Amino acid sequence: MFRYHKKIAVILMLALLLGSMLGTVGCGQKSVQKVLKIGVVGPESGGGAQLGQGQRKAIQMAVDEINANKGAGEWKLEVFFEDDEGNPTKSASATNKLLQQSQANVIIGAIHSSATLADMVVTSRAGIPQITAGSTGASITEQNNKWIFRTAVNDEFQANALVKYAKEVLGIKKMATFTAADDYGQSGAKLLAAAAQKYGVELVATPTYNNGDKDFKPQLLTIKEKGAQGIFMWGLYTEAALIAKQAQQLDVKAQLFGASGMAALKLIELGGDAVQGLILTQTFLPDSTDEKVKEFVQKYKSKYNENPIPHAAQAYDTVYIIAEAVKKANSNKPDALRDALTKTAGLKLVTGEPKFNEKGDDIGKRLLITTIKGDKFELVKAVMTNE
Amino acid sequence: MQYFLNGLPIGAIYALVALSYSLIYAASGVLNWSQGDMVMLGAYLGFTLFQLLNLGFTPALFISMAFVACVGVLVQYFILRPLRERKAPPINVVIATLGVAIITRNIALVIWGPDAQIFSSPVSAKPITLGALSITPQDILIVTVGIGLMLVLQYFLKKTREGKALRAVAQDRYGAILMGIDTQRSDGVAFAASAALGAAAGILVAPIFFVTFNMGAGIGLKGFVAAVIGGLGYIPGAIAGGFFLGIVEAIAGGKISSGYRDAITFALLILVLWLKPSGLFLRKTRQKV
Amino acid sequence: MKGITKWRTYGILGVLLLLLFLVPQVVSNIYYLHIINLGGIYTLITIGLNLLSGYTGQVSMGQAGYFAVGTYVSSLLMMNLKFPFWAALLVAVVAAAICGLIIGIPAMKLSGPYLVLATVGFGEIVRLVLLNWTPVTKGAAGLTGIPLPEFMGMRISSEKDFFYLIFIVLLLGTYVAQRLAKSKIGRTFTAIREDELAAEAMGVPVNLYKISAFVISAVYAGVAGALFGSFAGVASPDNFTFDESVAFLSMSVIGGNRSIVGAVIGAFVLTFLSEALRVFQALRLVIYGGILIFTVIYMPKGLYGLVEQGQNWFSRQFLAGKKDYSS
Repeated sequence: MFRYHKKIAVILMLALLLGSMLGTVGCGQKSVQKVLKIGVVGPESGGGAQLGQGQRKAIQMAVDEINANKGAGEWKLEVFFEDDEGNPTKSASATNKLLQQSQANVIIGAIHSSATLADMVVTSRAGIPQITAGSTGASITEQNNKWIFRTAVNDEFQANALVKYAKEVLGIKKMATFTAADDYGQSGAKLLAAAAQKYGVELVATPTYNNGDKDFKPQLLTIKEKGAQGIFMWGLYTEAALIAKQAQQLDVKAQLFGASGMAALKLIELGGDAVQGLILTQTFLPDSTDEKVKEFVQKYKSKYNENPIPHAAQAYDTVYIIAEAVKKANSNKPDALRDALTKTAGLKLVTGEPKFNEKGDDIGKRLLITTIKGDKFELVKAVMTNE
Repeated sequence: MQYFLNGLPIGAIYALVALSYSLIYAASGVLNWSQGDMVMLGAYLGFTLFQLLNLGFTPALFISMAFVACVGVLVQYFILRPLRERKAPPINVVIATLGVAIITRNIALVIWGPDAQIFSSPVSAKPITLGALSITPQDILIVTVGIGLMLVLQYFLKKTREGKALRAVAQDRYGAILMGIDTQRSDGVAFAASAALGAAAGILVAPIFFVTFNMGAGIGLKGFVAAVIGGLGYIPGAIAGGFFLGIVEAIAGGKISSGYRDAITFALLILVLWLKPSGLFLRKTRQKV
Repeated sequence: MKGITKWRTYGILGVLLLLLFLVPQVVSNIYYLHIINLGGIYTLITIGLNLLSGYTGQVSMGQAGYFAVGTYVSSLLMMNLKFPFWAALLVAVVAAAICGLIIGIPAMKLSGPYLVLATVGFGEIVRLVLLNWTPVTKGAAGLTGIPLPEFMGMRISSEKDFFYLIFIVLLLGTYVAQRLAKSKIGRTFTAIREDELAAEAMGVPVNLYKISAFVISAVYAGVAGALFGSFAGVASPDNFTFDESVAFLSMSVIGGNRSIVGAVIGAFVLTFLSEALRVFQALRLVIYGGILIFTVIYMPKGLYGLVEQGQNWFSRQFLAGKKDYSS
């Protein structure tokens, strides 16, 4: 019995190892058709799995559509997905696998900024364009890396738009930031502080929280004591909903603000009446009357039976940007693709009219200032990111 | 004072999880790292029964406790028992239970998906204010049900046959074997009771924390910390440790630094361990259960 | 008998390493090389862990902490003070050793779950400090643009270059560990693991040895960290989570924590395995967990136990009953 199990275990392990190593070697068949291979990295398990899975679903949908409609001309898109668990080391390995095993011509990913930065080391060494549809961390496009593009909206613009609105429309004089202690939250905190200075709002408290925290009452009490009229949150929706709920329980009267990272219908579902009136910026509103948005939401809903998250919309657009680039370049060579990407123009997509600046940031995004009313987001004001 | 009050409900949750660690450690001498994921499993089952199938809160609580208890027994039977039979070192048990945690977490991800699920509170969410202090009915529910469960556990250990057997094994495993006590069975009982306690903690905490597939890691680790602070294997210590940790966290987070809150907790823990290696609340004579 | 075992071990090691030196010539796929390199870095950590937990019997679930200290100290020195790689590595190792000393002192009184938790706590403290001490560590964004190592004008840049760098260090590390394990120190470690009181009664300064074991394991993780920083080019607190510490401990146990070769086997097998399982997509981690459980139950001595069995079988067949269980 004992030995029998042991043998099975050994055989199983060896088979797994060899099988997967050898199995992938023989995959280099050449086809006559022009194929563009897209590699996608994102957290499909671990924290942030909802973002990674939303990204995956939207990309799969976009690829299927483009292939069905010949949206990339003669080019057929082929897509490969790898899970990075939100871990930068695993993300770099996954990117390496996509480049070497799947022979990806372009990478979409990752979502966590730390993972995206690790992937950029791999893609820039290999000289392959990478587009992140989920990482908003400021440092990503500050690396002097010509291979990186970003279709997520730059945080700086969001911070400015929010604080400006708070000051000029709502007359808020004292504000507090309450941000996640991750790259996303910290860069948000920095940008909010800069915006506060720019528009002359006094910043009275800047507490943070660690992702996965459940109890925010201590920080909220501090904010309450300092007399902030507005609380600017920068993090994901689970924590934001909890913060809103606990703020209500502690009878904190300040206006809540948030950014695109938490913009999901789930925020309203989780937050209930605690998030009513919360003001946040986002690039995508499922109830929008915009034709493109309506169409996307309808398709996504009928395919996956759930509402798309903003990350999904951005990822969806990213595939269309790539399709356009490969059509224009008529090549899957990295340099040609990169050049075509930098010249992206004239596309009308779900989240705006993409156009990249010299750092790789998409400056053609629509930014929507919205508020929560009932069970949906309501548009307050739309601004373009190219100002 | 408000910080103190805020620390109570989370302290009750930590106490329940700490109890589940302590119970298994006392009864079978192993460290079970899958406790946190039993909390998660309990929360998801509660969510499915209460939120999706519209069962009442109490039946949902008991059914999921029973179900997770069965999972606990399975873990004991299929993982702990063979390890024991092979006299595997404790570290192997640690790795095996970490394996259970990984499996549970990822199966939950496949079944329930990556989104946080909402678990609406069975009681009103309106806070009750007393002067400058406020507390929600859900918090009161957590503390009362938590304390209730602790009393039930105490009754079970002191008055029932199974409970007495468990205590006997905890005090002297080999002596108990000589007395004709089935240690295999008492291991199973300990795993079942621990898993059920974890599940209860999960359901109680679900309305304030939401339900996510990776909620177990954090709660599990904190519960373990609480158990160790109180003296692992010492039941009153686990309860005291849980409340102590909850309150310390609330104060450290509010008064010192929220970012460093957990670092402060752990530094305190290492200090406690250095000065008093058997926990804060355990007297010199090692008394189990 | 002793001599045979010794030469056999070195022989196996030698052949293994010769093969490894040929690897980059044969393996042209950068992805495979990347995984092999990562495995090499993890092996260093696992070797240290085996000396600590396998030999001395002190379990640590906080190795990611030393690993992080190694990475951050060396990377920051290279980035901000323009230290050459080797000097940064040395300072990083000293820093990690100091951390090993700091945690070793309270740890010497602890055992079992208490020790596990103290080390978990250490790992988490390091991660949280990296996350929150923003002016120095750049917080959650982490370090980017970590310089590549340079030796006498030679720049280590490709996966192949890194392979040689990592494996020269690994060869050295394995050799030192093997020597240490067979030396008086190694035997004292084992004596402490087997019976601390008896060792103390024999006049062994138990606490000193226990702390040294911590320092040694920290040194190995520190070296690995310094290599990792330059290898990955970026580092953030996300690289050094509790899950990483768990992975290192799993490598140690799965490989077999009572031998140095076990560390090599465990680190490589688990690193490859977690990549190989990618084909299973969503069920990947479920299978990974299952394999962990299966291995610790049915191979209580880890994969190295199998090697030993194979050796014994070999001895029985060819060397007529010369058995040796000294390792």
